[in-house]
Amino acid sequence: MGSGFEITAEDIRVFLDEAEELLQTMEAGILRLENEASDPDPEVIQDIFRAAHTLKGSSATLGHQRMAELTHAMENVLDRLRKGKASVTTPLVDTLFRCLDALKVFKDEIASGEPASVNTDVLMHELASLEGTADAPTASATAAPAPAEAAVELPALTAAQQAKVNEARARGHQVFQARLDLSPEAAMPAVRAFQALLAVGDIGEIILSVPTQEEVENDKVGSDLKLLFATGESPEKVREVLQEVPEISIGTLAPYQPAAPAAAPARAPAAAEEVAAAAMAPPAPANGAAPAAEHGNNGGGPVRTTRSGMRTVRVDVEVLDNLMNTVGELVIERTRLQQVLSWLEVEREGDELSQVMSSALAQLGRLTGNLQEEIQRARMLPVENLFRKFPRMVRDIAQKAGKEINFIVRGEETELDRSVIEEIGDPLMHLLRNAVDHGIESAEERVAAGKPPAGTVILEAFHEENHIIISVRDDGRGVDPERIRASAVRKGILSEEAARRLSDPEAINLIWAPGFSTAQQVSDISGRGVGLDVVQKNIERINGSVEIRSVVGQGTEFRVKLPLTLAIIRALQVELVGTTYCIPLGSVVETDRIPTSEIQTVRQREVIVKRGEVIPLLRLAEVFGLKRAEDAGEPEEIFVVIVAVMGRQIGLVVDSLIGEGDVVIKPLGRFIGEIPGISGATIMGDGDVAIILDVSSLVNSVQGEAGRLEILAQ
Amino acid sequence: MVQEQRAQQGINQIVVFQLDNEYYGADIAVVREVVPLQRVTYVPRTPEYVLGVINLRGRVIPVIDLRRRLGLPVRAATKATRIAIGEVDGDQVGMVVDSVEEVARVSADAVEPPSSLLSQLDREHVLGVAQVGDRLITLLDLRQILVREERKTPVAQ
Repeated sequence: MGSGFEITAEDIRVFLDEAEELLQTMEAGILRLENEASDPDPEVIQDIFRAAHTLKGSSATLGHQRMAELTHAMENVLDRLRKGKASVTTPLVDTLFRCLDALKVFKDEIASGEPASVNTDVLMHELASLEGTADAPTASATAAPAPAEAAVELPALTAAQQAKVNEARARGHQVFQARLDLSPEAAMPAVRAFQALLAVGDIGEIILSVPTQEEVENDKVGSDLKLLFATGESPEKVREVLQEVPEISIGTLAPYQPAAPAAAPARAPAAAEEVAAAAMAPPAPANGAAPAAEHGNNGGGPVRTTRSGMRTVRVDVEVLDNLMNTVGELVIERTRLQQVLSWLEVEREGDELSQVMSSALAQLGRLTGNLQEEIQRARMLPVENLFRKFPRMVRDIAQKAGKEINFIVRGEETELDRSVIEEIGDPLMHLLRNAVDHGIESAEERVAAGKPPAGTVILEAFHEENHIIISVRDDGRGVDPERIRASAVRKGILSEEAARRLSDPEAINLIWAPGFSTAQQVSDISGRGVGLDVVQKNIERINGSVEIRSVVGQGTEFRVKLPLTLAIIRALQVELVGTTYCIPLGSVVETDRIPTSEIQTVRQREVIVKRGEVIPLLRLAEVFGLKRAEDAGEPEEIFVVIVAVMGRQIGLVVDSLIGEGDVVIKPLGRFIGEIPGISGATIMGDGDVAIILDVSSLVNSVQGEAGRLEILAQ
Repeated sequence: MVQEQRAQQGINQIVVFQLDNEYYGADIAVVREVVPLQRVTYVPRTPEYVLGVINLRGRVIPVIDLRRRLGLPVRAATKATRIAIGEVDGDQVGMVVDSVEEVARVSADAVEPPSSLLSQLDREHVLGVAQVGDRLITLLDLRQILVREERKTPVAQ
């Protein structure tokens, strides 16, 4: 383009961020189009069109020709839709989806820098034929430039400028007035405006511009760029040159007629391209800067702000992570000061000094609390960012499986820490695939069972106490414990006798066992060898848990319970042989003192019975091989922390309970590596390090023991 | 020999410390700092030579007993006991030593390859032996000592 702007890594990053949002907008829009094919919402078409248009502009800037061409062709088809010249048909939606896939590949190509093989010819052809299916094409874009348009509001010319106008005219050049609208989505509007100035400068002489070139260079641009310039080129050529500049559209381009601005003839019908471009533009300044954010109702479009109302900044995730770590350390120091205060209070019996310190500390506590909350909030994203990609995925899987699925998404506005969102995508995707592939029956089966032929899958996010629950629910066949038992025996996981002894909920929970899958036929989607055990493991890695509830014939629900944030958790502090250990409170069911006489043994394993449930005991000191200085003999009572993972409870025997509090999770580092039963460490108020237990691997260690299932079945 | 090459590339400055009445040295570029012995939190299910973890200015750092790591007899800590913090590939690991003596300069030609006299030490942990004044100093290869081969595999009980 010869714009003189180099494409930097930052440009590419901005492009990729933006492209991701645009592609998601397009995807959400196309899905809606498909659902409302008979009566498409013009707003939705407009959204898709706008996204395609913006993407066309920015991909052209990067010099990605194929992407620009493809989006351009899509734009033409969408434009016909928008004008009611074509209707939403299945082939049209399918083609749009395939184009979207190709665009995603292009995006990845830009991200990775490795060329991808995508044949756009076929798509271009499909788009072209879609375009030709209805009535004869209207006049092409460049054929009929508007002969005259509304005058551009320009400041009165200075004598020097007027002289330039006269001079140019004397040379036989034509003087034009133009209003170029900058796309509200433009990431770098000043750059675009500057590009436009350069483009015009190349073919003529700029007499006047609002904002001036200097203002543009200083990043002072509004929503449009008004120009008065002289050129020897034809209006067509000018148009062509300006259309090269991405993210701007030509609002007005007309010969300059200073004599009679009020007498400008009514705007003649312009060519298709141009109406499109005008529709892209924000309202003219005269109409005031109306916020452009209204169209995002439930289409899931990115939040748009007008240029003047720019209230957000992009921040590198690393900065947020560092902030979070620093706040974590601040919290530790605050706790230390708190300890100093309690010494002071004891030693100086609440004198003035300790009182002053006490109130300062209370204030500090409040401030660090606020800071922590704000930073946590800055790290929160609505799950919408994640959920957005699922409707398309569910649609594709359903189509492949030949099933009709009614996919409902709720609670997209629920917010989660971005690191949790990052980790939870794959497990959720797997659960959804599982629901569509295995949960929902075929249409015939459903009708035979007296259900509507279309299955329903609901993805929902909501708050529950201090956690976020994401539920994946279907109204399919449910998990049949009988089939699970049979399958477990067949796979050699359990003996026939042991399987028979399992209660139904216990049998259902066997689906989490490594390598367990009840799929009778392996599809290319769910049957990829990634089992539910991996899903469970991934969720537990971020201190979450997952539970299954199922009723045969009625459906299955997977409930994923997630912490609000990863770095700080609430933990129960316990003592073991003189050392403090932390147990994440999320998995603690209750704590109890149990008289030693109530401990029973079943096949050499100690158990207690609570409310009729048999709970195996795990003596942590023994499990961890902790040596006691002296053998004090068996106490009369033991402290038991009952923890649950996926409905499986075990009792952890500890020496005493200390209390609970927020702890900042720190890794043990690569040198120590992964240790079963331990998930990390934290620094306590007194500066000592305490080990954080990994409850799920402790529970699994009991589960893994031979004979455990028999114990539970009794 | 790789070890000879490494030795000859020149450890210029070394931190000299004592273990079991013998002198040992480590490349000063690998030893980040020396801190007094402090409370170490035991980490269950780790090899015997791992003493646990400490809080080093808000970071959790593992600490090993260098005597045990090198197969020397175990001894209780004294006033002179220190933790030398080493750093390899961005991972910090503390090593408990009997005492830290000095920082010494060693020229490459004063270093001899490990002799058979040091057979009780795992020879892959030793770069060579250097003479500094009247002291014989065993130069340890911390890059070998502070990286656990079995990192990935959890330690079974």
